[in-house]
Amino acid sequence: MTPLSITSRTLAAALGGYALSALCAMALAVILPMPRNEAVITGILVAFLLCACAAIWAFSVRSAWRAWGGIALVSLVFGALYLIGSPP
Amino acid sequence: MNGSFRQSMAWLHTWVGLLLGWLLVAIFITGTSAYFREEITLWMEPETHDSTLTPNTLDMAVAVLNDKASDARSWDISLPSARHTVAELRWQPLQQRQQQGGGRNRGESVSMDADSGQVVEPRDTAGGNFLYRFHYQLHGVPREVGRWVVCLATMFMLIAIISGVITHKKIFKDFFTFRPGKGQRSWLDAHNATAVLALPFHFMITYSGLLLFMTMLMPWGIDAAYPENRRDFFSEVFSRGGEEAQRPGNPAEMVDIKPLIAQTEAHFGKPVTRIGVTNPNRDNAVISLRVDRDPAITARQRGGDPVQVYNGVNGELQETLLPSEDPVSPSWRIYNVFTSLHMARFADPLTRWLFFLFGIAGSAMAITGMLLWVNKRTQQLKRDQVPGSSLKLVKGLNMATISGLMIAIAAYFIGNRLLPVTLENRGDQEIQVFFLVWLAALIHALLRPNRSGWQEQVALGTVLWLAVPVINVLTTDSHLFTAVAWQHPALASVDLVCLAFAGAGGYTFWRLIRKPAPAKHAPRKKPAKRTAPSTTAPAGENS
Amino acid sequence: MILLFAVCLAFSGMTLLALAMKRHQPQILDRKLPEPRARLARWSGWACLAVSLVCVLQVWPTGLALFMAIGLFAFAGLPLVFLLPYQQRLAWRLAMALPIASGALALVSA
Repeated sequence: MTPLSITSRTLAAALGGYALSALCAMALAVILPMPRNEAVITGILVAFLLCACAAIWAFSVRSAWRAWGGIALVSLVFGALYLIGSPP
Repeated sequence: MNGSFRQSMAWLHTWVGLLLGWLLVAIFITGTSAYFREEITLWMEPETHDSTLTPNTLDMAVAVLNDKASDARSWDISLPSARHTVAELRWQPLQQRQQQGGGRNRGESVSMDADSGQVVEPRDTAGGNFLYRFHYQLHGVPREVGRWVVCLATMFMLIAIISGVITHKKIFKDFFTFRPGKGQRSWLDAHNATAVLALPFHFMITYSGLLLFMTMLMPWGIDAAYPENRRDFFSEVFSRGGEEAQRPGNPAEMVDIKPLIAQTEAHFGKPVTRIGVTNPNRDNAVISLRVDRDPAITARQRGGDPVQVYNGVNGELQETLLPSEDPVSPSWRIYNVFTSLHMARFADPLTRWLFFLFGIAGSAMAITGMLLWVNKRTQQLKRDQVPGSSLKLVKGLNMATISGLMIAIAAYFIGNRLLPVTLENRGDQEIQVFFLVWLAALIHALLRPNRSGWQEQVALGTVLWLAVPVINVLTTDSHLFTAVAWQHPALASVDLVCLAFAGAGGYTFWRLIRKPAPAKHAPRKKPAKRTAPSTTAPAGENS
Repeated sequence: MILLFAVCLAFSGMTLLALAMKRHQPQILDRKLPEPRARLARWSGWACLAVSLVCVLQVWPTGLALFMAIGLFAFAGLPLVFLLPYQQRLAWRLAMALPIASGALALVSA
């Protein structure tokens, strides 16, 4: 891995991973069919694990672009879920 | 699983581990001490030791409160327990003082000797709370910053756990494997053994560490579901039973509390540990008597003790509250289990000892990981090649965080006994002793050659840990011998653990100074927290 | 006391599980075991752990007990790992003697 690739992946893991888990927490909090506080805690439980998995992903794929791409894709899905579920 | 995936995970594990490894070692060691934080605090306040619960303790506590705050809005009496010898009396004054810093108003408090009824003023010390707080918010940096740094290290740890499991080629085949005397291979085996066998603990402590700070780390879900007000979430989840404080009524004589205590103890079959009085000495006084609840780690954390509430004037039983039996949803159950296990507040002494040993296993895992890193790179050096400055730096930092921290903690305890009792800001001075000694150990570690540096630090650590109980005998009346005579396990255990660390240090030192045998010079067993780093010596290759 | 018994039993269980593995057989017994014997060792190892778990369940409420059982197995395993390369005979003898001794102790004190 080149230094540039490592830097890029690190940023993807840190910023992308955090954004991904934040969006996951938000989406699950509004979309899960259970009482609000349960949905919130479920979202948080999943979000922390996802954050770690995102870092694993960022360093396991072949290129830094893929690392960014995968994280962005999942983030988009969670973002869309949040928009669907959030009260108007 | 293909090779390159595993390779990239090994790379990630190595660098994630190294980058915040020192911080993790420090968090593990201080966090392990936190399982005994009340015992440590007790030990560090010897003025409170000569105090035992008597049948008159409660009467004396009420007398002290009547003397100091007869018109308070509420009283709260914590009776002595196995981990706390004095009675703690707290009260909320009628006129609320402006609270600086915006925290919850804790009111005022004194400690009372449980058999003489005298107010005790123990020496000023942060006690075990200093080590406890250090493990989640460090020291000397703004609280928020410290917490974020610790949480970052925790996330690194979670990543290291996952990538470590992926990297480990033969988890089950190597389950019982330890091959001594093989340098790097031995360190890897030791790292694997402490990591794999205690893996559930490592995962629990890491994941729950993040969960405990979820509102700081992950408020986004709460904001998304509660767009109006974040507080609604907390009042829904962590409500404290909605005790609306009534206005103080007219002065009135209060009922004698003792018969009520007998009644409640008969009802629950357990001793009453806490007594709360709202509006004492008024005609609307309310007395609530609490007993400790059974350990139930899935239950809600706060405010769940069984309690009986009495009318404070005529002594009538008003209600009996049991821990909430509400069905807890699966997600909250998971949250409760993890956070309860992390803090082990429910624990009886035996469970607490086991958690302490878990913590030592965690520390040993982090330590062996750090030493493995160094050892691998030392062995990769070519013959006669001098280790580079970065390798030297890592070695020095390893020494400073492992043996240096142990030295600093011993110095903290010794400082507690040797600093003059009347010193200004004494509690802060003790903490300064801790950091100055740690800094000295760091400088020493960076300047001295690796092998002799380790020998000197381990020797010093052994002497200091041995000195703690000895100085305790010389400076207090409640040392190991009297604690054993009083059958006070909480007090005796601190001295005994110090002696155990001294023993482990002595053993490590003995391994270090022994001439390394040609092939077999790896450490035998990880003695407690410090591990014999004989194979990390740069001379290992060409001696 | 029952916990002490549980830990000792877990130690025996771990030793038996190690005995079921080819690598550790010469360490513990100085010889290889035929496959049926190894299988027997594996099953009795798991049985020891199961009994140990039952003992732990007597001490704590279920959720905590499950966690603590895993922890106790770890504590039984760690000494074994560091015992095997040095004192292999001792490991085997301890695995035999410890549960009996601690079991007797538990019975006497109960």
